[in-house]
Formats: sequence, C-alpha cells, structure tokens
Amino acid sequence: MAAIMIISLTACSTGATSANKDTTETSEQEENDTNESENVTINFRYWADNTDYSILMQNIIKKFNEENNKGITVVGEETPWDGGAYSETLFNAAMGGGGPDCATWKLTSTPLFMNNNLLADLTPYLDEWDGYSDIDDNMYNVMKEASGTDDVYVMPWNVQVLYVYYRPSIFEAAGVEVPTTYEEFLEAIKKCTMDTDGDGKTDVYGFGMRGGKGGQEPWGSFIYGEGGSFEDLTSAQSVQGMQDFIDLYNNGYVPPTAISDGYDEIIANFQSGLTAMTIHHTGSSANMVEALGDDVSAFPFPDGKGQWTSMGDTETVIFESCENKEAAFEWLAYLATGEGQKMWCEGTGNVPVSKTVQAGDYFQNDPFMKASIAGQPYAGILPILDTTTEWVSSIWPNIVGLALTNNLTAKECMQKLQEELYK
Amino acid sequence: MVKKKTIWPYLLVAPALLIILCVVFIPVVNAILMSFQSYDLRRPNDIRFIGLQNYIAVFRDSLFWKALGRTILWVVFGVGFQFLFGFIMALLLNKKFVARGAIRAVSLIPWVTPGVLIGLMWRWIYDGNNGVLNDILSKLHLIDSNIPFLAQTSTAFPSVIVAIIWQGIPFFALMILAGLQGIPTELYEAADIDGACSSQKLFHITIPSIKNTIYVTALLRIIWVANSVDVIFNMTEGGPAYSTQTLSVYIFNKGNALDLGYASSMAIVMALLLSLVAIPYLASTFKKEA
Repeated sequence: MAAIMIISLTACSTGATSANKDTTETSEQEENDTNESENVTINFRYWADNTDYSILMQNIIKKFNEENNKGITVVGEETPWDGGAYSETLFNAAMGGGGPDCATWKLTSTPLFMNNNLLADLTPYLDEWDGYSDIDDNMYNVMKEASGTDDVYVMPWNVQVLYVYYRPSIFEAAGVEVPTTYEEFLEAIKKCTMDTDGDGKTDVYGFGMRGGKGGQEPWGSFIYGEGGSFEDLTSAQSVQGMQDFIDLYNNGYVPPTAISDGYDEIIANFQSGLTAMTIHHTGSSANMVEALGDDVSAFPFPDGKGQWTSMGDTETVIFESCENKEAAFEWLAYLATGEGQKMWCEGTGNVPVSKTVQAGDYFQNDPFMKASIAGQPYAGILPILDTTTEWVSSIWPNIVGLALTNNLTAKECMQKLQEELYK
Repeated sequence: MVKKKTIWPYLLVAPALLIILCVVFIPVVNAILMSFQSYDLRRPNDIRFIGLQNYIAVFRDSLFWKALGRTILWVVFGVGFQFLFGFIMALLLNKKFVARGAIRAVSLIPWVTPGVLIGLMWRWIYDGNNGVLNDILSKLHLIDSNIPFLAQTSTAFPSVIVAIIWQGIPFFALMILAGLQGIPTELYEAADIDGACSSQKLFHITIPSIKNTIYVTALLRIIWVANSVDVIFNMTEGGPAYSTQTLSVYIFNKGNALDLGYASSMAIVMALLLSLVAIPYLASTFKKEA
C-alpha cells in the first residue's frame, strides 16, 4: 500500500509542473521589468565528492555573493551524488515544483528533463555573453547533441577524463613497467596480484574493479580495448571485452568485494594498498596525493584494438521554473569562465573548460592533469538515451553482477545490456 | 427518549476523513489507473491506456517471480526470528533483576533507530575489507580470509535478513512484555500448587494468555517487513546480481526509473497479496468493535 501511494504521489506531481510552467511564464514577463540592482536569490543545487570540495564550493559561492555587485545571492543546496541518485532526486524535486533554480549536471540526465520541459534554453543568454569564445565550440556542440536540438540547454563547466591510478612501489615490487598497450595492462594486473607475506593468500590485488554503481565507466575501457563499442555491445569484440572483465574477477586479480564496490570502496582499497591500480579521474587526485604522497601516479588508459575512456562531464543548468534566469546565468558564467572556474578546477583537479584557465601553470604541470589531457582525444560518454539513467543505476550493476558470478555468460550479459540500453 | 440527530459529530470527523481521502484514497485510485497505462515519465508523450498489458508483463517477468519468492523468505525468516528472539527477550525482561528498567530502555534502541541508519551501519559491519564482523571472526580464528558478506550472492540475502531481525526484535519484545504483564499471577500460583513444571506453565498459561497479542503483532510485522525498503536499499540496493531484491525493492527501483505504470501494477499485485494477511486482522478488529 505504501508503495502504491509513493508511486501515485510522484505521478501526481506532473500536474504540479504544468501549473508551475504557467506561473513561470508570468514570472518571466515580470522579470524583464526587474531592475538589475534588485536583490535576487538563486537556489543552486550541487554535489561534492568529499568534504573539502564541499567547503570549496561554499567558498566560491561566498566569494561570488560578495563580489558580483549585482545584488545576486546564491544559496547552495548540497546533495550527495549517491551513485547517480542525485539526478533522480533532482528530477523528482523539479517535477514536484520544489526544485532549485539551477544545479550541477550530468549530460546523461538531459533527455529525461528535456522530455518533461524542465530545462531553460540558455542560447539567448549565451548569444549576449562576452565569455562565449573562451570555451571551445566543440563543448557547445556536445551540449546541443545531448539536448537533441540546435539550442544549448546545458552550460559547460568542467570535464573529468578517467585514467589509471597506480602505485609505483607495487609496480616496482612486481617488476612491472607502466603499460602502453591494453594487453600489457591486463598482464600488469596479473603480475601486481601478489602474496606479499608468503601465507598463501593474496595481499595485493592488481586492479580495483568497480562492480557497483558507476562501474560502467571504467568497464567501457575494457570493451573498447578489445575493439568493441557501446553501439553494438553484442559484437564479438565487445563480448571479448566483457570476458576479460569476468576473467579478472573469477581468477582473483581483483578484490572479492569488487562485485559491489563503488567509489568509496575502490578509493579506500587503493589507498590502503589492497589494490595496485584503479580507475578514476582528477576529482580524487588531491585526496590521493594527501594519502599517498609520491607513491601514486597515473597513466592514460592504454591503446588496444580500440581505445576509449570515459569523459565524466559536469555541467550546470537553469530550470524553466527559475524566476530570475538572467541572475542564474551570471552565476553559471562565473563557474564556467570566471574566478569560480579557476577555484573549482584548481581545488578539485578537474579539467577546466575555460581556455584562459587551462593556460595556467597549475594545469600545465600537474601529472594527473597530464594523464587527463592525454586521454581527451579518445574520451567519450555513454550513449545519451532516455534509458541511460536506469541502465547506469540499476541494470548495469545487476546484469554484470550476474555475469561475474557465472549466472550469465559474457555473451548473454552483453545481449541483455544491449536490449536494456536500446529498448 | 429519542436522541436528536446532529451534524456536529460528522463535522468533527470530517477533517480526518478529508486527510485520509487526500493522502490515501486518491493516490491509491491514481495508482490503480496508472497500472492500466503505459505511464513512463521518461517518455511523457507516450502515456496511454494499455489495458492489462502491464499485468501480463509482470506475470511474465522472471525478476518479479524471483523477487516474490525472496519476499516470502524475507518475511518468513525475518518475522519468524524476530518473534522467537523477541519472545525470549520479553520473558527475560519480565523477570525481576537489577537495572531492569534501564535494560528495557536500552533494548529498544534497534527499534527507534532509523532504517537508513541501520542499513548503513550493517553495511559497514559486513564490509568485506574493513568490516568489524570479519575482524572479530578473524581474531577468533573462525575464518582464514575475509568474507565479502554483501558482495556474494550466497551470503548477501541472509546478511540483510539478520539486519531486519535485529531491528524488529524489540517491537515483538515490547508487545509481548505488555501481554505478559497482564497475566494474573494467581494462574501461576495455582499451577505451582498443582506441581506444573516451567514448560507446562509456558504452554498452558503464558502462550494462551498472550496469543491475541502475538497474533496482532505478527500480522503487523508481516505487513511492515514485506513493505520495507530502507534497510535493503541502503545495504545492497537489491544487488549483487538481484540477490537481495525483494518485491518492494523491485517496485521502488522501477518507480525510481520512472516506469510508474509498471511499478504501479506490481504494487497493486503486492497489495492484493498482502491483503490476504491484512483481511483476517481487519476482520478480527471489526469483530471486536461489533
């Protein structure tokens, strides 16, 4: 009964959205008459991967509020990423009429929100913005592609290109060089899996596999490494990539907990020395250096029969229900090319989209940034479909889990993943 | 003398009825309607009436049947052990001993702890690399290497059942303790005079005296446990490989995926199944009131 009520109340909220839309249209007219110097409050929802980033965002907000001189006050609403549940919560809030004015974003959520007319078209604001050319045109094209229109509904902010973290001390103990091909990478995983104290048990696993939510990103590199692709997960090459993934698990080259490991687990296992390598982006590099000092480095995911790494994009959006879109855009622009861009990308180690910020010393000298930049030419994203969110949050972890536990063959697994992604 | 009819009692009840209408009746009717539609918010332009197609798809869905089977195990083992340990705890707490009041209060902690917190707490207890349970078992030399409790399909489901048992024991203990305190001591005194042993007193005095309490408590817990999502979702989200996905978690996941028509049809089926348990309870309640 409780389940029925929850589902029903969620659906009821669609009606509320239409009502909000009417209200918004009226508000937009009023907004045009609003004097710029009037005090305006913008509610901004974001996630932060750790407490340092949380404090950083609060500092950026504080700085903007103090210095914008336009009477704009941004109020930050922090919400956990929670393996993608952030987007679901944001959608429910927006549909229910209780959403924020603007928010941090993942491209994969775009079709869902576009289909429900929840996002504001940013094109008119971009056309009049003098910072437009500081961002590469390709970024705007990706944003247009995600919206399925010729307009920009999503504002570029920063990108995170996945690369391989490794522990130089473990590589040295295992006699392994930094791999330059996919085959060498698989071999390095095997060699780094070691019994260091001679008790017959594995003490170090070669690779920190992510089998829980979010694991589809590093997994994609294995699929492409064998020459497969997301477009056809059932091809022989894609199936072979899946088989590599299964073999790593079944042959004990990854921790036995890998099937359910998420972000927290792969990072903790790598930092504790349980794993020799793992895949993530610069979002975790500051913590890695703090925990491991010089005993951590990175290399781009190596080339095999194909090459791909996930471009973990992060953008910002303004919601159609926002009553002060112009003020919200001021804030988004500050994050995209202004001091907010510099502070956030330097503080988190994310790759900036602003050409001016990219040219700074910090980004030219950082080894993790180098691995990110090296991965950019072959970095990509999952196909953006209306099925992607469910596929990422629920389908992928469970179907791959069935394959890792030998309840599905690699071929059956990939057929199922293909069906669910393109249904 | 004939009592004068007045509208006053109806006016007093009206606000409560209105609230129930808004938060229970309307959503339930809405869910029933949605269950006959292709109601997927990811495809809002394709919402339409599709008759029984959702129900047919549900009954053909192997995940639904697996989730249903798992729900039965979840309820049988979850509620069964909650009752067993709750009964033992109630018998112990009914004895007179030092600091009984304090221990009674402390024993309620699992019941008053939010399900989300219980899920997170047990998730870390069971952690395969750094969990305290593995540490204890290792120090006691009961295991050679850590057990990934929540990462193995063979251990994940029993592990989450243990967590729900831990949560529900105090409720059974509290209800049964209240029942035990209502049993006249004269019955036990008479049994002592007749030379009855402890087990005879248990089966011929204690249990028959509190059978209604046990019945009502068990029915309520069956419904609550079958519907519960929070503990499982925070421990495993229904994984790995669907091994902990009960029907309520499956409905929740489908609802989260915004396929509300399909989720509604499963929720309706589940509500009908649970009504088999609820009807005897409601019937007995109305019988007493009559």
